Amino acid sequence: MSGDEMNPAAVAQAVEDIQGDDRWMSQHTRFVQECKDAEPEVLFIGDSMVQLMQQYEIWRELFSPLHALNFGIGGDTTCNVLWRLQNGELDNIGPKVTVVWVGTNNHEHSAEQVAGGILAIAQLLTSRLPKTKVVVLGLLARGEWPNPLREKNVAVNSFLRSWLPRLGHTQFLDVGAGFVHSDETISTRDMFDFLHLTAAGYRAIAKPLIDLLLQILEETPEEKRASLV
Amino acid sequence: MSSEDSNPAATPTPGVDTQGDGRWMSLHNHFVSNSKDKEPDVLFVGDSLVQLLYQFEVWRDLFSPLHALNFGVGGDATQHVLWRLSNGELGHISPKVVVLWVGTNNHGHTAEQICGGIMAIVQLIKDKLPKAYTLVLGVLPRGKMPNSLRERNAQVNKLVQEAVSSLPHASLLNVDPGFVHSDGSISHQDLYDYLHLTPQGYQAVCQPLHAHLKGLLEKQAEN
Repeated sequence: MSGDEMNPAAVAQAVEDIQGDDRWMSQHTRFVQECKDAEPEVLFIGDSMVQLMQQYEIWRELFSPLHALNFGIGGDTTCNVLWRLQNGELDNIGPKVTVVWVGTNNHEHSAEQVAGGILAIAQLLTSRLPKTKVVVLGLLARGEWPNPLREKNVAVNSFLRSWLPRLGHTQFLDVGAGFVHSDETISTRDMFDFLHLTAAGYRAIAKPLIDLLLQILEETPEEKRASLV
Repeated sequence: MSSEDSNPAATPTPGVDTQGDGRWMSLHNHFVSNSKDKEPDVLFVGDSLVQLLYQFEVWRDLFSPLHALNFGVGGDATQHVLWRLSNGELGHISPKVVVLWVGTNNHGHTAEQICGGIMAIVQLIKDKLPKAYTLVLGVLPRGKMPNSLRERNAQVNKLVQEAVSSLPHASLLNVDPGFVHSDGSISHQDLYDYLHLTPQGYQAVCQPLHAHLKGLLEKQAEN
């Protein structure tokens, strides 16, 4: 496994306000405040793949009932997520499951470095939240046609598949099945810009994810409703 | 207004594939081929605020019935939209109304340059689609608290309003329903990352937009 000191993808780093409206820090500050107010059973952390999910109906249908919090920020790399987790976004909460989805924006880093960054996030989570189970989602294919980023994301997933089981309380879930068609294209029906998921795309990934979450939480929706009566 | 040569915001510029997966050009090519197959009455063109609109129910409820097409690309600034419209996206269609929403991503450009970019697009649309009406949507405020980008965007809207006031084929519509609260803050319930609209934010923007569009389409039908 890559040494953290040598791996730039495992170095915590805040996003600099280059544009001039400080939106990244505003979002981080809001998440830190949400940690004080909420008691989530499930925490989602990552980039726009996580963030955008909350804007679709599927979040309210499937994930809100699990008392899930969404700490996704568009554009984030593993470095940015590490910084956020080290600077308040894990304070005062004890989720049973943490879902990590990040890595597709790590353009400066090799596949091995990106996987090392994700591993560092999983390690941080299991040490800061001893009761949590970590679920790392595989990076999806991107671009309309085959391209180097698809290969890179496949390589990241491959490293994760072999490294993550060695960490306790952590597992890898590949939710990418079916997005690349037999002619090797990705459809805008699934990814409206060949990167970000449509409502239909999220519905496809939600199935395996929700099954795993429910398994970990050891409750079915019916049991949960019954327990509330 | 600055000439096209000296205004980067008004110089057609394709998106650069910095990431390595060719997505910008893929989207452009899709739009060009869409323009061969479809016959929209309304064309929406612009950045992620246009693009994301297509993903939510509000599009199907309000704009599909108007036979609208969506040519939004996330991250696009005025010079990118100018390039796309100059390179095939207006090829085979004759919409009655073009809704243009762009400008917030023109980082490094002054309000004057951004206005110049928007007006270059308005002129291009007039040249390619002489019968179309261009509805420019005001650039929204952004950021959680007051900042220089809010000032820049407000200035862009003011300059564009002045520039279109003499034109019979274009106007500016302010679609900000009042996102900025009395304490100067914007809520994440409206702009989830203080830039992009939530479905709730889109409802607030789109109801008046839809009403205005219907009015324009009826007027176009009378002409």
